[in-house]
This record gives sequence, structure tokens and C-alpha cells, in this order.
Amino acid sequence: MKIGLEIHVQLPTRSKMFCSCPTEGNDTPNSRVCPTCLGMPGSKPVLNRKALELGLTLAKMLGCTIPERTWFSRKTYFYPDLCKHFQITQYDTPIGEKGSFKVGDKTIRITRVHLEEDPGKTKRVGDGTALVDYNRSGIPLVEIVTEPDLSSPAEARQFLSELLAAIRNTIDLPEDGDRSVRCDCNISVGKERCEVKNVTGLKNVENCLKYEAVRQLKVLKAGGKVERETRRYDEERKVTLSARKKEFEADYGYIGEPDLGTYRIAEIAASIKVRETPTAMASRIASQYGIGEKAAKQLVSTSVGLAELFEEIAGATDPHTALTWCTGAVSACWKQYDPSMRDGVVGIVREFASGDLTDTECGIRIRALITGQDPGEAAQAAGDLDALVAEAADANPSVLEDYRTNEKAANRIIGAVMKKAGGKYSSAEVVAAVKRCLDSRL
Amino acid sequence: MDREIVERAARIAHLDLTADELDRYEKDLTEILDHFQMLDEIPGEDTEGFTPVPVEDVLRDDVPSSEIPPEELLRDMRTYDGYVRGPKLS
Amino acid sequence: MTSLPDLKAVNDRYRMFVSFTDAEECDGEFVFSAKDNLTTRDFPSTAGSRILEGYRPPFDATPVARMREAGGFLAGKTNMDEFGFGTFSANSAFGIPLNPYDRERSCGGSSGGAACAAAVLEDHVALGVSTGGSIVCPASFCGVYGIAPTYGRVSRYGLIDYANSLDKVGILSAKAGDLAKYLPAISGKDPKDPTSCAQPGEIGTPKKVGSVAVPSEAVQGLSKGVMESFERALESLRSMGIDVETVDMPVLRYAMPAYYVLATSEASTNLARFCGMRYGQQDGDLTLGFDDYFTSFRSKYFGDEAKRRILLGTFTRMVGYADRYYSKALRVRASVISEYKKVYSRFDAVATPTMPFVSPRFDEIAGMSALDVYKADFLTIPPNLTGMPHLSVPCGYSDGMPVGLMLTADHWREDLLLGTALEWEKGFDMRKPEVMA
Repeated sequence: MKIGLEIHVQLPTRSKMFCSCPTEGNDTPNSRVCPTCLGMPGSKPVLNRKALELGLTLAKMLGCTIPERTWFSRKTYFYPDLCKHFQITQYDTPIGEKGSFKVGDKTIRITRVHLEEDPGKTKRVGDGTALVDYNRSGIPLVEIVTEPDLSSPAEARQFLSELLAAIRNTIDLPEDGDRSVRCDCNISVGKERCEVKNVTGLKNVENCLKYEAVRQLKVLKAGGKVERETRRYDEERKVTLSARKKEFEADYGYIGEPDLGTYRIAEIAASIKVRETPTAMASRIASQYGIGEKAAKQLVSTSVGLAELFEEIAGATDPHTALTWCTGAVSACWKQYDPSMRDGVVGIVREFASGDLTDTECGIRIRALITGQDPGEAAQAAGDLDALVAEAADANPSVLEDYRTNEKAANRIIGAVMKKAGGKYSSAEVVAAVKRCLDSRL
Repeated sequence: MDREIVERAARIAHLDLTADELDRYEKDLTEILDHFQMLDEIPGEDTEGFTPVPVEDVLRDDVPSSEIPPEELLRDMRTYDGYVRGPKLS
Repeated sequence: MTSLPDLKAVNDRYRMFVSFTDAEECDGEFVFSAKDNLTTRDFPSTAGSRILEGYRPPFDATPVARMREAGGFLAGKTNMDEFGFGTFSANSAFGIPLNPYDRERSCGGSSGGAACAAAVLEDHVALGVSTGGSIVCPASFCGVYGIAPTYGRVSRYGLIDYANSLDKVGILSAKAGDLAKYLPAISGKDPKDPTSCAQPGEIGTPKKVGSVAVPSEAVQGLSKGVMESFERALESLRSMGIDVETVDMPVLRYAMPAYYVLATSEASTNLARFCGMRYGQQDGDLTLGFDDYFTSFRSKYFGDEAKRRILLGTFTRMVGYADRYYSKALRVRASVISEYKKVYSRFDAVATPTMPFVSPRFDEIAGMSALDVYKADFLTIPPNLTGMPHLSVPCGYSDGMPVGLMLTADHWREDLLLGTALEWEKGFDMRKPEVMA
């Protein structure tokens, strides 16, 4: 089975792609419109710098080749939501080509990444006529096209989910809201492929592909031939249906968009720094510092900022020390951490590593710095917690024996201390204190 | 340019032509395109972009603003409840 | 405040306006008109098309706004070929403007109403638009001055597109001084039209050309009267101290097909939006399927030439044909630009007659095939295809009808054209058109 996806994601700009209308705010239909996004005669498009930059950032994230120069094209077709009856999109010079994205151990090839404008939104009334809201008209979209490298609906879903996480991380895409993902899904189980257009959301993509795979298999089994066609997905009935209107690539009659000119994007792209994806960061940290995949993932999943702090401390001391403190005392009060505290934390751990601070003192100083607690009180609290832990450990001597072979044995002590402390300490603080105590007794 | 191509262009362009119009445009366009064959005579030159003078890197800052109130933009449109009315969707 | 002439009486006689003010006095420092494809808040804007009937734009085109800022009073919207598709202004849905020198003849096109207004009304400045010669052709037929600037010199914001890579807003007037005064007023970068932001700076101080080249290709196929006037005009240039030489520019002959391919390819996409929704004609049965609904409006309200160009342009960008026509035309445009640039390394400007004949009678026009009409633009198309500024000055009369001399300069060298026009005006004996009714 071969599956390829064309993924459309709205880019988080404040104004539209070719005009200054706001992308968010008033949801009254047709309240965020102007002559340009209504396609009124005489209006002209002007490209939003941010849309171009965000698109280039994603093209770089996907490892695409970026051409020296790019431009836009007109794709002409008639539909009530497309006010000019041509969509400004990219045809012969997409902003990125030949990229890739890894899902687990598998590399999915990215054919191209290009920018285009979103059409408006239609809804159907009782008599079948259309009501159109052009608020969405002109919202910038990035389209990411994959090669048919995905081999199952489940894999397609996993790919999409991880790709979206990577996109969110790279360009600060909001988690939810209207900025949904839309996919055109190409799938073939035999020789001929079908395209299911405009499927919204991860779950629908998987379900639609499942349905379509079974449908094609049935056709083939019955000795039939799968017809190359465009289909649509009915979300309620969970079936794909032949789209009545046949649109052919040949009918779009692409021409260059003369109103915009060209853009020397290689220069712009060179100045853009792409944030590492969390997955890429975790595997890099694991191999660069030799701390193991699991620990690296834990750091990154708590926060990319924590992983960055880890790298700082590891540079100043050593990876093992950095890991101990980052997963311990620092992680315990991470919610109150602010990047301005970075140098302070690094300094404290450096003192510990050079032997100027004891284990306990180091923990107290870190907590005091991050939470703003008085060092005396922090010491007192820590002392109290350490005392509680020591008491619980003494009361359960068998735990230490089990702990040698199974880290999870610590949970019994942790549970006991939490119960006794009655919410005075955060679970992370307790976990760190228990581990410290047990490790010191080993 | 044969009849079939004229009909295809008309269908793509959403023009419904009478038999008389089809005859006329087929004749005119054939004559015009025959004349345009001369384009085959020269190779032309490589060019980037689509304007006769170079237009490069004209970009707008991402600052939202609105100039014309929506009521004025929608004034002459057929609307219902703030939506623009359109023909039946297939 | 000065009183306006009786525009209704003038318009009844010459039909240059599609709509005009009913004010009797001019509330401004000077009076101007705008071609009907420029959007205006106070007048409907139809671009000569039935399909846009009733369109009231909620914004002014930038050149119109700049004329108002300069103290201009907008008297009306001038008639034109539908969307600029024509050479004689005979393709308008709203009547045909009549030539001030002979009402049996055409004003030229597509800015025919603008040229007519400039010729007939005292102290009138007309905003025109040129895609393939639509300013200089009517200027020449109506015996006035007309300039189309470099592509991108004047903002196209608010210009109802014919072909975006070719359209240029310019000025027509009976006085060369108005061109020099008002072209700079409407020029300059406009953040609402990216193509206007490519201009290197302001138009320089008007300066007469020192030399002109006459392409041997351009003096073939001219009417006898035009040939004679043109030869006398070259003599006048020489007497102004301008060096005149004949050159060969063999690539110019490819400009015509390249122009029509690009112009119609772009036009057929621009006109896709007109469909009975959102603006203009909208009074249709919405329960029709959208394809049928759109088709019914387009078939009913587009004129004959609009349909012809839509068909041609849809074909030239179709898969299977686009390489041979659309992409090739872009390459040929580049060649024609190179051909001009070579000439500009030795000469300040290129001189030709504006049109190969004086304005034809309407019965003659009726006998021309579509291709005959396209071919009639062979002199005005090269500067337009290449986005070069060009100017038509009245240079003589043949059987009482005006003849135009066209000068084309390099990109951004409007200063040379304006300077030459100002000098030309001093020595040219301009005839007034027939006395107004």
C-alpha cells in the first residue's frame, strides 16, 4: 500500500497573506475583509513578509533545498469560495523541495513545500445555495507534499501527528482553534491511485485512508479496476465518495503572478535559524552526552528549556552531574524557573562539582534561587524533608535492598513521605529527596 | 485551433457559446494562431519573473489593519445574515 | 471656482463619458477625467463592460486619489473598449465615442473617451490606461498628446486589470505641459501595488532627446498620408537639433504575437472573477448549480471581443500549449527588451508613427477581421510589451485627420519624452477639432 499526503497548515501570522486584514478576532462573517481578499476589481496583493519567513522556516526544518529565487502562480478554477477564481499559489518554484522527515526509523521523503492563500468558507443552506464567509480568504497556508512513502493508515496518522508536533515547535503554531490541519490523501493498494480531497484532522485522515484501502481492495478482489479519481470524505458516514465534479490539473492553466514580482529567498532563508524539533533534540542530546535515550527524552519532554539548561551545565561540569541536578532539584521547581536564572544555576552546580558545596547545600541553593525562598527556610524545609525521608527509609529497610535492582522500589518510600507531609512538598521534590537518600545509602 | 479545442476552452472558461459563436471564434482563432506560428521562429531569451522590469523582494510587515468598514464593502453584494450569497454547491 | 462646460451637451455629441458629474461648477484647481477602468468612490466603474454594470467601488484608484490631492476635480469617467480590449473604442457596452475631427470616425482605443475629452474640452487632463497602445493610439487619432510611462511608474492600485504585466496608467491632454505637470503627480511608489515599488527614483527634469533611431521595420505598411506626415516630422526633429538615423530592429515583428499571448493569458485569469457574484450584475437564480450560474452570467454579459480574448488566453495557457505560447511569449518579450537596450546604447529614443493609418471610419472598422485589428497595433505594441515609456505627439494632418509621432525611451526615462514634447509643442501648429455644438 502506498500513501502520500498533501498537508495544508495555516501559518500563524497576525495579518493575511496578501492584505492587512487580521487573521483572528471578530468571528462575525465577512468582518475581516477588504477589497483584496474579496477579489474586488482593482485590488492588488502585497506579500506578508512573516508568511514567507514562516514558510521558509518550515522548509528548512524539513531539510528542503531552497531555490535562489521564488515567485507565485495563478491557479484558475471556479468555485464560490474562491473570490478571484484563481488561487495565488506556487507552481514551478516552491520555496522548498526534496526534504525529508523521520518517523521512528523510517524516513518519509518530502516532495515540496509551497505557500498559497486559503479560500473562503462556504456553508450550504436548505435549498443547496451557498453562504460564503471570506474571513478565511487570504489566510496564509503552507502545503507540504510527501512522496508515497507511507505504508499504512496508522503510519500516516503517526507521521502527521509527529510532523504537526514538529511544526508547532518550530513556528509556535497554536495547539488548537481554527487553525486545523487539512489533508489531501493519495492512496493506492494496486496500480492506480485515488485522491481524497480536503480531509480535516488526524483521526479523519486515518479513518478515510482505512476506508479507502478496503474499498480499493474490494474492487480489485472482485476483478475490477480502481479508477483514478478525486474523492471526498464524508465524516459522518465515514466513507469516501466519488467527487461529482472532475477537475483536471490540465484545466488550471497556471501562469505566473505578475502583481507580486520575485523574491530572493536563499538570502532570507540563510538568516533564519530553525529551532530543533524535540525528537531531534532528544536523540542528539542522548548521543552527544551519552546519557541514554530515555533520560534525554525525559529532559526534552519536561521542557526544551530544561534540556537547554542541561546542555549548559553539562558544558560547565559533566553530563552525569548535569543530569542529576536537572532531573532532580531543578526539575522539582521548574515551573518557577526563568531563563534569567540560568547563569546562577550553572554557577551553583559548578561549585558543587568542584567540591565547594555538599549535595544538600547545592540542592538548597538551587531551590532558593529558583523559588525565591529564603535560603535559611529552604535549608529548614529541606532538612525537614530529608528527615522525613530518612525516617521512612529507616522504617522500610527492605526497600533499599529492592532498590538495588529495581528503581521502582523507591515508590514505597515516596508514597509514605507524601502521605506524611500532607502536600507540603511537590511530588518532584519528594522524588528527588528520596532518590538522593537511597542513592547515598547504597 | 479545431472545434474541439474551442469547446474545451469555452468549458474551462465558463462560456456557453452558440453554434454561430463557435463557428466565428473557431475561424478567428485559427487565423490568429496561424499568424502566431511565427513565435516558433525565434528562441527568445531566459527570463525570471513575469514583469518587463524586475520587481524584487517587495514585502509588507505583518501588521493587521483595516481601512474600509465591512458594511461598505458588502453594500452592493447579495447577503444573508452577514454571509455573501452564492449559487448552489454541487 | 470655475464653471464647468455643459458636459451633457458635449457628451451627447461625442459620447466620451460613461458617467459624469451634474455639478455646474468645478470644485478644484483643475478638471480631470478618469478612464472607466479606474475605480472611483463617486462614480460607478464598469471598465466598459455590461458585467460590471452597477459596480460602485468602495475605494479610489491611487492615480485618481493623487490627482484629487493635486487639486483635481473629477468630472467623469471616460468610455473605453470593454476591459481595454480594442483599438477603436467600438467594443464598449455603453456606446462608442466619436472622433472630434470627424464623427464618422473612431477616437481610437482603448482610451478613446479620454482622448476625445482631452481634444474637445478646454483645459482638460484625462487619465488613460495603456496595455498595448491604448493611450498613444487614441491620442494620435484625436490629435492630442498622450504619454504611457514605464511599467510600474504609476501605481495600478484601483485599475481593473486587463493584463497585469502590461497595464500602465498615463495622461492625455491637448497640452504637452499637462503631461509634464501631472505625470509626476500620479507617479511614485505605492505600498498597495508592489510593481510600483521597483522604480529607481522620481522622474527627472524634462530634457529633450539628442538622437532618435527610426526602425526600418516600422515604416513598412504605412498609409501614404501617415508616411508623409512622419517624414515631415523627422525633418522637424532634425531642425530641433535632434540626430535622426535609421536602424534595423528585426525582433520587433515578434512583439505582436508575444503581446497578444501574454495579454490574453493574463486577461483570461483576471476576468474569471466576473460571474454574477459579489459585484456588478448579480440578479440571477442562485438555485442553479454554481458552474451553470457562473456560465450564464459570463455568456450573457461579456461582449464579443472579451469572449474572443478569454478563449484565446485560456488556450495559450492550457497544458500542452502553454510552453509553445505562454512561456515562449515571456522569452520573446525578453528578446525584444534586449533589442531595444541595444538601440539605447546609441540613441536616446526610438521614433515611429503612432498608428499606420489615420482614424478609420466605422464602416471600415466593421469590415476588419479580428486579426486585422490586432495587426493595426504593430507600432504601439513593442514599447508596451517591453514596459518602455512612450509618447504620442500630434505631428500633422492627413485629409483633415490628425497623425501622431511616437517616441519610445528606455525604462524610467520619461524625462526625455516630456522634454521633447515640451519642445515639440513650441514649434507645432496644432489644429483645433471641429467647433463644438
